[in-house]
This record gives sequence, C-alpha cells and structure tokens, in this order.
Amino acid sequence: MAMNDLERLVSLQDLDLMIQETDEVAKLGFNVTGYDELQKAREELANQISRPLLSRYERLRAKLKRAIVPVKNDICLGCFLRQPTSLAARGREDEEIFTCENCGRMLYWLD
Amino acid sequence: MRKSELASHFNPALFIPELKATDKEAVLKELLDLFVKEKHIRNSAIVLEMLHQREKLGSTGIGKGVAIPHGRTVAASDVLIAFGKSTAGVPFDAMDGKPVHLFFMVIAPPNDEGNVYLQILGSLMPILSDAENLQRMKAVREYNEFIEVIRGE
Ligand SMILES: [Zn+2]
Repeated sequence: MAMNDLERLVSLQDLDLMIQETDEVAKLGFNVTGYDELQKAREELANQISRPLLSRYERLRAKLKRAIVPVKNDICLGCFLRQPTSLAARGREDEEIFTCENCGRMLYWLD
Repeated sequence: MRKSELASHFNPALFIPELKATDKEAVLKELLDLFVKEKHIRNSAIVLEMLHQREKLGSTGIGKGVAIPHGRTVAASDVLIAFGKSTAGVPFDAMDGKPVHLFFMVIAPPNDEGNVYLQILGSLMPILSDAENLQRMKAVREYNEFIEVIRGE
C-alpha cells in the first residue's frame, strides 16, 4: 500500500500504542511472542518518514504520549477543542499535516 | 466490566452470522468492512495494516475455535466490537492449531476514557473460555441470540 506522510504517521502511532500495551495484553492471555519482530517493523516504518517529521512526532510523543490523534465532528480527540471550519475542510484532504492549536498534537480527520 | 456494559459495545450492524471468508486475510477484511459500511472507519487500509502488525506480534487465535483480532488506531473514535462466525472454520494460526469459528474484532481509538478497550478484552476472555458459551455462540443465527450469550442470559 502506497502511503503518504500522514498515513505513515498514523501507522507509526498505531504501532507505538501496540508496543506500549504489549505487557497488558500478554497479561490477559494473548500470545505476544513476536515482540522483537514488531519492534523491527516499527523501525522500518520510522525510516520511511522524513527526519524532521519523525523528530516532531517523537517530541510530541515524549511530551503528550500521543503525537497524532483523531478528529471527529471537528473536535480534536486529544484535548477536545473544536477545530476552525477553515482548517477542517483542508484537513480532510489528507495532503497536509495540521496541528491542534490548543494541544499541539498532529491531527487525523475521521469524517 | 459488567456484562451489560460489554454488550453495549456490540452492535447488530457489526454482526455476521455466516462469514464468507475462508482464510485469515479475508476474515480480517470482511469484518473490517462492517466498520467501514457503518462509517466508524474512513480508511480501512490503515486499520488493516494495524491488524496485520498485531498478528505479527502473535496470532490472536486464542484456541478452542476463537480469535480476537484487536488494536487501537488513530483511524477510529469509538471502542466497538464486530462478531463473525464461520461454521466450516478458518485457519488462523491459532495457539492450538485448530481452525477458528468465532471471531471478535475489537477496534479502539488511541485513548479512551477509563481504558474501556483493555477492560473489554479482559471481560471477553472468561466468557470465551466457557465451553457452553462457545457451543451456544456457534449455533446463533440472529443478533438477539448472540447478545444473550454475552449478557449471560
Ligand atoms: Zn488538541
């Protein structure tokens, strides 16, 4: 699948969430023997993202736990602030990466 | 988590009494398509990628004919569970090597209040380790019959 930067960031965030919760999921009785392989997949994906964008992602993640969050009904699901309508229309096109003015997280429009 | 609360995360529109899929990949897609149809997910390729990665971590086929593909994704806003059943069974690299008949796909946003996502996974486990529940679920034809088993009725 050919992904753009925004989609790669979403996939990276999904992977990081998965890696982060591996212990909890293992405690519930799930098989997590592929942990090292998952780490490797994470590094491969990270290598496909431009350096400045990746370091922005890492900085946000270190500070706010989640660097990129969904936007639903124009609400940032990181901090629940409504996004300006002008931003929403362009955000949906998935071409540019926008950030929430309030919490600073990168945004991914769901609708 | 109470059974009634667990039941509230299921939805008649996310229910397939007889899956068409006959392999692992097709099952993931068929269940994921329900979320797309219901507009819970806009970009299914991203979520499918996440589910593939999750299977890389370890098969979500927990044995006894049950699989629980699951994960958090930035491409979702609600915690929802889809259910699908295959009478013939589907090879799914399950822990016990047996084909899987009952599928529970749990999709969650990056964060959710009260960590409902992990609670859902945790409360599904005991229900799905009960042989009588599994027998009943394998026989369901309608959503109402199914949700009764989840509710413990
Ligand atoms: Zn925000």
